[in-house]
Amino acid sequence: MNNKSSRLSYLTRGIILENPTLILMIGLCPTLATSITAKDGLGMGAAASFVIIGSNLVVSLLRKLIPTSIRIPIFIIIISTFVTIIDYVLQAYQPALYRVLGVFVPLIVVNCIVLGRVEAFAYKHGVFDSFLDGLGKSLGFTLVLGVMGIIREFFGAGTLFGKIATPVWFRQYPMLLMLFPPGAFLLIGIFKALINKFMKQESL
Amino acid sequence: MKSKFYMVFALVVVCLISAIALSQVFSITQIKIEKQKTEAVLANLNRVLPSAFRFEEVTAVPQALWIGFDQNGKKVGIVFKIAPRGYGGPIETLVGIDTSQKITGIHIASAAEGLKETPGLGLKVRDDWFRNQFIEKTKNDLKLKRDGGAIDAITAATISSRTVTDGIKQGLEMYGKYLKADSIQSQIE
Repeated sequence: MNNKSSRLSYLTRGIILENPTLILMIGLCPTLATSITAKDGLGMGAAASFVIIGSNLVVSLLRKLIPTSIRIPIFIIIISTFVTIIDYVLQAYQPALYRVLGVFVPLIVVNCIVLGRVEAFAYKHGVFDSFLDGLGKSLGFTLVLGVMGIIREFFGAGTLFGKIATPVWFRQYPMLLMLFPPGAFLLIGIFKALINKFMKQESL
Repeated sequence: MKSKFYMVFALVVVCLISAIALSQVFSITQIKIEKQKTEAVLANLNRVLPSAFRFEEVTAVPQALWIGFDQNGKKVGIVFKIAPRGYGGPIETLVGIDTSQKITGIHIASAAEGLKETPGLGLKVRDDWFRNQFIEKTKNDLKLKRDGGAIDAITAATISSRTVTDGIKQGLEMYGKYLKADSIQSQIE
């Protein structure tokens, strides 16, 4: 594998082959809790993406200066700084979204995707590669949240991005289950089953 | 180079940079956050008492109470907040009342703001048809129809419907005195 294609693969791996939620099975809590509507799901994805990419960049920049024995506390400080920034920004500029996401914004600190990427990748790779890796994992995470949000909002409330997308009879008796946590579990189970079916031949 | 001293140094520097960055972001966003909060409250106040031009908060009461004035500074009504216990938790409700003791509107906090009623049942207290039937009602109408009043209950959510109705009535009894023409002066100043 030459240098260029391996670099590109840092980006693409995160989307399908190493998708954080569906393959690595990490970051499930926010995925299940905040994908109730398409807008909430994408909003959570964007907030987490900012933190993942930001921490990856800073850690890879400082990787030669961070002593190995205290790297985890330093990672956590860097991550929580980014989380607090996005928390303030959402509160100031997207108050409606912030009210919905609520406690899940501060909880990005403990999202395994963030610490996982920083520890497993950014601490060992250069700035540009770490940026690609963070971007790829962010896209994979946001993609799953967005698709789940779209499906749950469509079947659970009959709308898409808050706009009415179904006839009246559909909205009178929607699949309320989709808006509740069991609906999210079922959906992610179906996703996982589909992924397993179509990726069996590939090296997993 | 990577001695114990260096570890302390690295941690301190990272914390310091983080603190500086956060204080900068905080000072930029804080003004905006405060503005959003007061605007959100004001928007709800305007919704339940549309005739008021400005509001003054009364602080000497157990829960929130505002007095609304028109452009000439004349009192047009009051808005009070109640939080009666519903089926799943408190139902935070803003009630607007004009000086003729009639309800001008009610606003119920959404599920995202902490309303814990059952979706599809008790959560329907937020529906327009339920809220709007309170408009123009006075104290004696504030009972469910099955209790001899004028309010239609939500099907299969009688507890939530009764809670809101009774809560508004109690609030009216408690805060009604603030509607009298001269009660504000002593309360605010």
